[in-house]
Parts: sequence; C-alpha cells; structure tokens
Amino acid sequence: MSIEKPSSPTEIGVTDDGLDYDALAELLGGHVLDRESHVNAEGFVIRPDEVQEVLSTLKTEAGFDHCACVTAQEYDDRYESIYHLRKYDDPTQELSIVVPSPKDDPHNQSAARVYDTADWHEREAYDLVGIDYDDHPDLRRILLPDTWQGHPLSQDYDQSQPQIVTLRENANPLQEDRRSEDDPDTMFVNIGPHHPATHGVLHVKTVLDGEQVADIDPDIGYLHRCEEQMCEHGTYRHQIMPYPDRWDYSGAGIINEWAYARAAEDLVGIDVPEYAQVIRTMSAELCRITGHMLALGTFALDVFGDFTAVFQYAFRDREVVQSILEDLTGQRLMFNYLRLGGVAWDLPEPREEFFEKTRDFLDDLPYKLEEYHDLITGNEIFQMRCVDTGILTPEQAKAHGATGPVARASGVDYDLRRDDPYGYYDELDWNVVTESGCDNFSRVLVRMREVEESARIIEQCVDLLEQWPEDDREIQANVPRTLRPDPDKEIYRAVEGAKGELGIYIRSDGTDKPARFKIRSPCFSNLQTLPELAQGEYIPDMVASLGSLDIILGEVDR
Amino acid sequence: MQSAPLPETLAGLAGLDPNSVPVMILTSLIGAALIGTLMMTNTALAGPWAKRKITAAFTDRIAVDRIGPFGLLIIAADSVRLLSKELIVPDGVDRPAWDLAPLLIASSALLGFAVIPMGSGLHLADPEVGLAYVFATASMASVGLVMAGYASNNKYSFLGGLRAVAQNVAYEIPLILTGASVVIFAGSLQMSEIVAAQSQTLVGPLPSWYAFVNPFAFVLFMIANLAEVGRNPFDIPEAPTEIVAGYQTEYSSVYFVLIYLGEFIHIFLGGAIIATIFLGGPAGPVLPGIVWFMIKIWGVFLFTQWARSAVPRVRIDQLIEIGWKGMLVLSLANLLLTAVIVGVIA
Repeated sequence: MSIEKPSSPTEIGVTDDGLDYDALAELLGGHVLDRESHVNAEGFVIRPDEVQEVLSTLKTEAGFDHCACVTAQEYDDRYESIYHLRKYDDPTQELSIVVPSPKDDPHNQSAARVYDTADWHEREAYDLVGIDYDDHPDLRRILLPDTWQGHPLSQDYDQSQPQIVTLRENANPLQEDRRSEDDPDTMFVNIGPHHPATHGVLHVKTVLDGEQVADIDPDIGYLHRCEEQMCEHGTYRHQIMPYPDRWDYSGAGIINEWAYARAAEDLVGIDVPEYAQVIRTMSAELCRITGHMLALGTFALDVFGDFTAVFQYAFRDREVVQSILEDLTGQRLMFNYLRLGGVAWDLPEPREEFFEKTRDFLDDLPYKLEEYHDLITGNEIFQMRCVDTGILTPEQAKAHGATGPVARASGVDYDLRRDDPYGYYDELDWNVVTESGCDNFSRVLVRMREVEESARIIEQCVDLLEQWPEDDREIQANVPRTLRPDPDKEIYRAVEGAKGELGIYIRSDGTDKPARFKIRSPCFSNLQTLPELAQGEYIPDMVASLGSLDIILGEVDR
Repeated sequence: MQSAPLPETLAGLAGLDPNSVPVMILTSLIGAALIGTLMMTNTALAGPWAKRKITAAFTDRIAVDRIGPFGLLIIAADSVRLLSKELIVPDGVDRPAWDLAPLLIASSALLGFAVIPMGSGLHLADPEVGLAYVFATASMASVGLVMAGYASNNKYSFLGGLRAVAQNVAYEIPLILTGASVVIFAGSLQMSEIVAAQSQTLVGPLPSWYAFVNPFAFVLFMIANLAEVGRNPFDIPEAPTEIVAGYQTEYSSVYFVLIYLGEFIHIFLGGAIIATIFLGGPAGPVLPGIVWFMIKIWGVFLFTQWARSAVPRVRIDQLIEIGWKGMLVLSLANLLLTAVIVGVIA
C-alpha cells in the first residue's frame, strides 16, 4: 500500500505490538517514582529536579525526538507538568513524563535545554498556570502582557476581576533604536501588531542591521481568547464542539472539530460508524484544501506584494470548496458539523447534485493547479525569491516540534493521517507529500501537492459515499445525552490539521465537563522556528518565511 | 509634422503679438494650464477608476460599478472622500521637508510634460535639450521620495526612502544611457527632432519608430522605466507587505493624494517619454495625433498594471544586482553598439 512507512531501526522498548513500557522504565531506573496509565500512553512520574536528565536519556537512547506538547495543571495538592513525548518516525509510540511540583512553591527543571520547542510551551505553562521552570533560557509571559497579575488557570486566581492592560503599560512603542549597545548601527523596529504581512495580530520585535534581520522575537497573545478555559466550562456532549472552529479559522474548521472529537471519543470509548467516518474524512480534506488555498494566496500576497492575480485566483477556487462545505454543513466557516460519535446530519439531498458539484470541482482542480504552477512556482522571479531562503533543516524542524507542511518541506516524513491513522484514511489510497528543499519554495510546493492528494482522498470518499447502501447510512453512534467519563482519565490525541499536529489533552474529573483541556496548536510550535528561518535574512525574506509558515493567529494564541 | 509651440498658436488665435513678453508669459501660462489639466484628467481617470478596472480584469473581479456608468462617478466620490479626510501630522516630523515632499513629487513629473510633443499642436516648448530636461525633471521625484522618507520620523518611511534612492540610482543610469542611444540615432536632444526622425518607414508599412529600429533598447527602457516609476517587480520603495507603505506611510489626506497623483503622473510621464522616443510620438494613421499619443501612453500604463498584477517583487539586493550588474552593462553595450553602427553607416 502506498501509505506504508519505511521501518525505522529498533530502539529501546520497541516491540511489534506497541511500546514495552517496562523496558523504558528500566532504562530510566530509579528516576521513575511512579507509573500512571493514561488512555494514550503510560505516564512516568519523575522528580522535578531530574527533568533534563530523564528527557535527554529518552531522547538520545529511546528515540523520543518529538516533544509534542507540555501540559501544565493545578491539582488540589500539587502542580503538574506533563511532557507528551512521541517519535517522528512512529507517533503511535508515546510516553508521558509527569512532573509534579509542590503546591506552595511550584517549580521544576526546564526541558527547553533538551527540546527547543519546550521553550514556548513552558512559557505558556508559566503564564497561564504559574509553574516556574528552573534553568529556562527566557521565562517570561507569552500570551498575556508582562504586567498581568496572577495566573488565570491556577485555582486561586480571581476570575471575576477584570484586568485591562494597554500596550503603553508594558511596552514603549517608541523605545530607542538600538537593541544592543555594542552594535550601534542596528535599528529596532516593531513589525506588527498592525502590519500588512503579519496575517493577523502578530507582533515581531525585529532588530535590523541595514536591511538584514539581526535579531527577531515573535510576540504573540494578541488574539488570546481563553479557548482552553472556555472548553473547560463546556459540557463534552454539545458545548465544546463549536469552539474548535475558531482556532484555525482559515477554513479548516472541521479538522479542528475532529481533533476534539477524536480525543473525547477515545476518552469515553465511542465507536464512530464507518459511514460517518467517510463523511468526516471527505469534509476534513475539503477543509484542508481551503486552508492550503488561503496559505497559497496569502503567501503570494507576501511575495508579489499586493492583492494580485494569484491571491484572487486562490480565493476564487477556495470559494468553490466553501460553497460545497456550505451545502454540507450549512455554514461557510464556523461549521460545527461534527458530533461526538458521528456527524450532525447526512449529505444534503438530492445527493446526486452534491456529488456532481464536488466532482466538478475535482475535475477542474488539475487545470487550476497547473495555472498556479505557471504563475507561481514556474515564475523565475518567484524562484529567485523563494529558493534557498528561509532554510529550516530537518534537525531544527524536529527540535522545534514543527509538524505539518512545514516539517514535511524539510524532509521530515510525518503525517498523522498515515502514521497514527484515524477516520477512514488507512483504507484509502494516497501519498504523504515531502520535499527536501527545506526552504520557502518547498513549503509552498508541499501545500500545492497536498491539495492534489486531498483531492484524491475526496474523490475516493465521494465514490464510497455514492455506493454506500441506503439502509446502512448510519451517521451517529449511540451516545448518552450526558457524558461523564470516569474520574482522572487522561488522554492526549492529535489529528493532522491543515498546519500540522493538532492535539488535545483532556483530563476528566467525573463531571460532564473536562477538568483540564489543553490544545496543542501546530501553528504555535511552527512559529517558534521563525528566528531560525529569518535570522540574517533580508526583511522581504523574513516576511516570506513568515508567510510560508502559514500561521493562523487564532490557533497560535487560542 | 513640426508645428509651432502651443503658446505661439494661442497668441496667434487671440491675434496678439507672440513676441511681446507679457503675451508670451500669458499664453505660456494658459498653455501650461491646458497641458496640466489634460494630464491631471488622465490621472484622475487612471487612479480611482481605470487602475481598479484593469486590476479587476486581471484578477477575475468586477471592481467599481455602482456609481454612474461603468462606475465612473467613483472619481468624484473618491475625490470627496480623499480630500475630506483628516490630515494627520505625526509628532516629530521635519516640517518644511515633510510638507514639501508631496508637492515636489507631484509637480516634478508634471514639469516634464512641458517639452513633450503630444501632437495636434499640443507642445508647450521645444528646447534643444528637450530629452535631457525630461530626464532631469523625472529624477527630481527621487529627491521628493528621500525627503518624504527622511522627514516622516518613521522607520518604515526611512527604509522606504533609502530603498527609493538605491533603486533610482541603480536604474536611472541605464534609463538615460538607453535614452542616449536614441539620441545617437536621431542626432538631437530636441523632442520634435526625435519625433521627426521616426517619421519615415522602415520596411513596408512598418514605421521607423525606434522601438522597431532597436527593439533591444526599447525592452531595456521599458524595464528600467518600471523601476523608475516603482511598479512590480520593482515596487520596493513602497513594498506594502514589507515596509507598510515605505516613504508614504505617514501621509494622509491631501498629502497622500498628492503623492499618489505624483506617482501616476510619473507613470504617464514615463509613458510619454517612451511614446516620444520609441513609438514615434503622436504619429499614427487616421486619428488625430493627440489621440494616438494618449493611446500610446495608456498602453504603457496598461503594461505597468499588468506587471503589477502578475509579477512577484524582487528583493532589494536582487534589485541592485539586476540594476548594476545586468541593466547597466546591457545599456552600455547597447549604447556602444549603436554608436558604432551609426558611425559606420553615417
């Protein structure tokens, strides 16, 4: 089958039927204080001052090269940080490292020296939950302003007290021109939060040396909407599902919904009917196309410099997909179409019309892509601008936890649809797209080729749906009206979003609402690579690199 | 082909003595006002309306069509909108320079039209150094750009101003060298002479326009002109996605209109130079000269809009590289070759 992955060399604990956690515990020896059983993997409890030692052993000797997420939370008697480790070669091999820290003075060792990606994740944990990470290179708030009082997700935080922080209070927009005293020729410039190239409200603190970028520090959080906390206040069954549409609002809403659906369904053990899985797969791939079209259009906007032909063409074609999605879900952007255990409703009647519309789109797509290749990738000036700029080596990509097209353009062969199958993907014939250029050009090319693959998947789904026997069209499993998962069940589950690994961590406490709901946003991790891409490049290349990362600030800031 | 300059024609029409100084001043002013109004009308048509329609055609849209026939009254609506906006003067701007820059940008390009023979007697003056004068006035806009960029007290403006200088220095030399190759052909800097030199036929019905005589120089000039007027792929001084709007970031209301106006007149002046030295000026069958002339400069305008819609922007270092290592060498080669060929033939 085409979606088989080349096998990797055996590492400690790897057996034919999953991970042998006893072997891993043996590797760590006395460091493991206790073992917890999470739904997705085992959790090893370790001492807060041995984090670096344990993680670097696991990284170098057991092959856990992907720190997907860091979840922090407060219990009644302790704080806890969970490092969700997986492998780029096989993400089904997972391990959670659970680090408790004392209630009165929560601090533990930072993992940022082992995994670069932990830098931002730990800053977020510090910001929202209030755990201090020792030996962290740069422990500042990340989503909230520096002057914020308290940590919103900690138990003693006063939610009723509004805090209004103006920019003037925590940053001086007119501060002096130079960042460092030893280099008087540099100029500090705020790119964003209101700037044509930031695709939303991103603030990039940039130090320029002439036209070249000497230092760069993305400042996020302008679009922080407390999505995690809002989800913690909603019931599993119905109230959480509308929120995911608002994370990655590039049109990829159904994939986000699927991330939540997958985590929650696995948490309470719901089996989704196959027919619904096919519909989910089809609609998710339609969403991926809208997301990639937007990425392509806005990247062209960054490189071409204006709302030019490519941008409009991409939007014209995206419009067709959106209209198909509107027929299916009734919405153009905020779909709210998935339900736990299935989808909201069956395909629109008359079905033939829907199939025809979808097929028309798929038939036109190759010509449109050819047009894009003529206009964009075939253009010599475009190549001059994008080839060999914004280099992200595979090592850097892995260290920063990059996933999705960003990682695949650096040759990291990682796609959860194939590697950690869900939905109907493993039954279909399609390929994972990778490029080895590591540059801006490759990232664009990967997205364009992924659109082709998505079209292949949709085509097969449409065929399947058309031939599906009429008496077997079950769109919804039998799910209780109120879901109350057993207390203290923990799960981390991810799907392949349009931007990469979109993961959800849920901890249940026996009620109908999650006790902790953590979103692992692919854009958040991908944006961390920006300094690697942009340092030393010219401003235009920095802008192009930012565009090629395809970040959606709604998902970065949540 | 050659007709009397416009002021003299005007004086003749009014029955005054064209050689008396007061009459000369008066008729020159009237003539200048006529030409200026003509070009401003073109710009008014181009800026709020034609540009939108053309870009829309390139990008599968419809653009303005609500007000008036074909949306033409948007011109009036936009004028009211733009002029009624608040003029924001940021703290710390360098006042006289900041105020002068838009005026300089808008007026310098307009000056160039004084020596352009537009056909049908619309020719204000015909000095012997015509072409040199046009290049000189066109270059003055660069000073305006630097003033705007430097006086705005804004880092994006500053970067834009610096980019504008770098770009104009890199591209004006090839532009003028290529223009000089035409001067070698025509044997004169005088605009009317250059036009007259193109009035023969080359082969069959093909006129001996310099675009046909030396297509290489024509292509070079068109490219250098794109850089000169700052349109894709050379819109680097503005580069909206990189440095916001470059030197014009801090300008609003009337000043913004003036800068925009200046840019459009500049494109038209570029078109007028190309039409005059490469496309036979106002020459053309059946229709009156002025119509042919307008068709030609609108053709150049269309070309810039096409480039803007379809071509990516180059990077600043690539731009400089193309300018100094490519265009300059090619234009020098073109000049030398032309000189040798003309020398051998003559």
